[in-house]
Amino acid sequence: MTETRVGEELKKMESEYEPLLPVERKLIWYTFTTGVVLLAIFVLISRWFV
Amino acid sequence: MTTLPTTLNPSSVPSEGEALALTQSRVTEDWLAVWIGLFVFALSLSLVAGIDLLGWAINTSVWTLPAKALAPASKLYAHLPAALSLVATYFFLLAVLLVAAKGLRADLKRFAAGFTAIFIVSYACWFLGSWAYIAATPDKRAALKIAWSLNLTNESGYIIALLAGLIVGNFLPGVARAIQEAVRPELYIKTGIVILGGFLGIAALEQRQLATSVIFRGICAIIEAYLIYWPIVYFISRRYFGFSREWAVPLASGISICGVSAAIATGGAIRARPVVPIMVSSLVVIFAVIELMMLPFAAQHFLYNQPMVAGAWMGLAVKTDGAAVASGAITDALIRAKALAATGVVYQAGWITGVSATVKVFIDVFIGVWAFILAWIWSAKIERRSGDKVKVVEIWQRFPKFILGYVATFLIVLGIGVAVPSLIPKVKASMGQANLFRSMFFLMTFFAIGVLSNFRKLWQEGIAKLAAVYVLCLFGYIIWVGLLISWLFFHGVLPPVLKG
Repeated sequence: MTETRVGEELKKMESEYEPLLPVERKLIWYTFTTGVVLLAIFVLISRWFV
Repeated sequence: MTTLPTTLNPSSVPSEGEALALTQSRVTEDWLAVWIGLFVFALSLSLVAGIDLLGWAINTSVWTLPAKALAPASKLYAHLPAALSLVATYFFLLAVLLVAAKGLRADLKRFAAGFTAIFIVSYACWFLGSWAYIAATPDKRAALKIAWSLNLTNESGYIIALLAGLIVGNFLPGVARAIQEAVRPELYIKTGIVILGGFLGIAALEQRQLATSVIFRGICAIIEAYLIYWPIVYFISRRYFGFSREWAVPLASGISICGVSAAIATGGAIRARPVVPIMVSSLVVIFAVIELMMLPFAAQHFLYNQPMVAGAWMGLAVKTDGAAVASGAITDALIRAKALAATGVVYQAGWITGVSATVKVFIDVFIGVWAFILAWIWSAKIERRSGDKVKVVEIWQRFPKFILGYVATFLIVLGIGVAVPSLIPKVKASMGQANLFRSMFFLMTFFAIGVLSNFRKLWQEGIAKLAAVYVLCLFGYIIWVGLLISWLFFHGVLPPVLKG
């Protein structure tokens, strides 16, 4: 892929947007929520037990 | 795609064939880093058996008179002229790396010529960085008979090497091309990290409780990095910048996890064309340099009273193994100097670098797992294709093998120390010798990263939109969340205090 074609491809994406699928939304939401919950748990463990 | 690229040159976007070739050579380089690191480690350990095999290596002290700066590492070789010690160090590294170059099927003549140039420039930078007016900390000024110094420690040589590399990469393209066969920052840093494992093993032996605490907190911090960084960056890339899934996955992984390795591994997991993660990786390398130039100094200014937070922050915020550990090394030097100047406290060297390396290593460990999860979601839910089966063995295929070397050297030193405590002083001396080579590999990494960072060319390649996502997510989210997570897990944890 040449330099120009990469640039063109990136521009093209604006007009040919792939909407977020429900499974992508789930992936984003579940991952982030799990991260926040685990963050709280790990912080407590690291402060109290380690 | 099973593995990661050997080298990356953002000055030219590779074709798909070239990109594929790059991705196929990484296993070799990963394993080579393990073997070279273990070889140096084993030679240094011979000191424990009373045989000094590496004592001839060059050691550079902070100097006011150049003639007194260089000397062999060991007293046994004190009779050797310093110049001979330096030449021996060069030939040793050249010989070892030529074997590696042969394994990588590199052009050996070009590699030897390139390596020679890299060694000379890198060592010159180290030598310059060891000049007392640049390197001396306040407690050393009286002994060196100087009234002032920049207080940067001799590790300022890393920054000078990076600047030298940037000059070559951006203003001397002919030189950059001439030495490119030997410009292999990933090989150098991974070898350095394998050797670093032994050095950190000594630190862990001396401070077992603290080491255990650091490792636990490091694991916690990186799990958070995956789960909190990645989904937000992916969402921003898809929703607000309109990137396709093929571009958004490597981009989110490159920005939020571990730069080049993650972009390539997750790109492969969702079957992105090789050029996509390679383009993202080019951007990662450039921004890692920018972070490397900024974050250690910010950490020195704001976090000198929380050194471990600063170390973890480098591991979480700076992308690419080389730049992250390099940032940790600079932060280590800068913060120890600032803490001494501001509060009179002398922290033991190496702990801040150790935290950065630990966090980075754990991040690397999980790349394969994350790539596997994405591969499963993409093949089972998003792009269902008949015959697509995700195999557990792919985790192993994507596993960065140099980590095995790091863990091995760490455990060997720890094992010897626990089994025979009377050997700890000898092991410590042997790791001191190995550490000289670790410094050389780090130095060459800094120079090589600089050479690979051609800012102007990358901009011309039309990836301003990728850069926009990168800037927004890195400087608007990753850096601050990384700081918060580092603070939550490492606040109040301090390195051993030697004085003060």
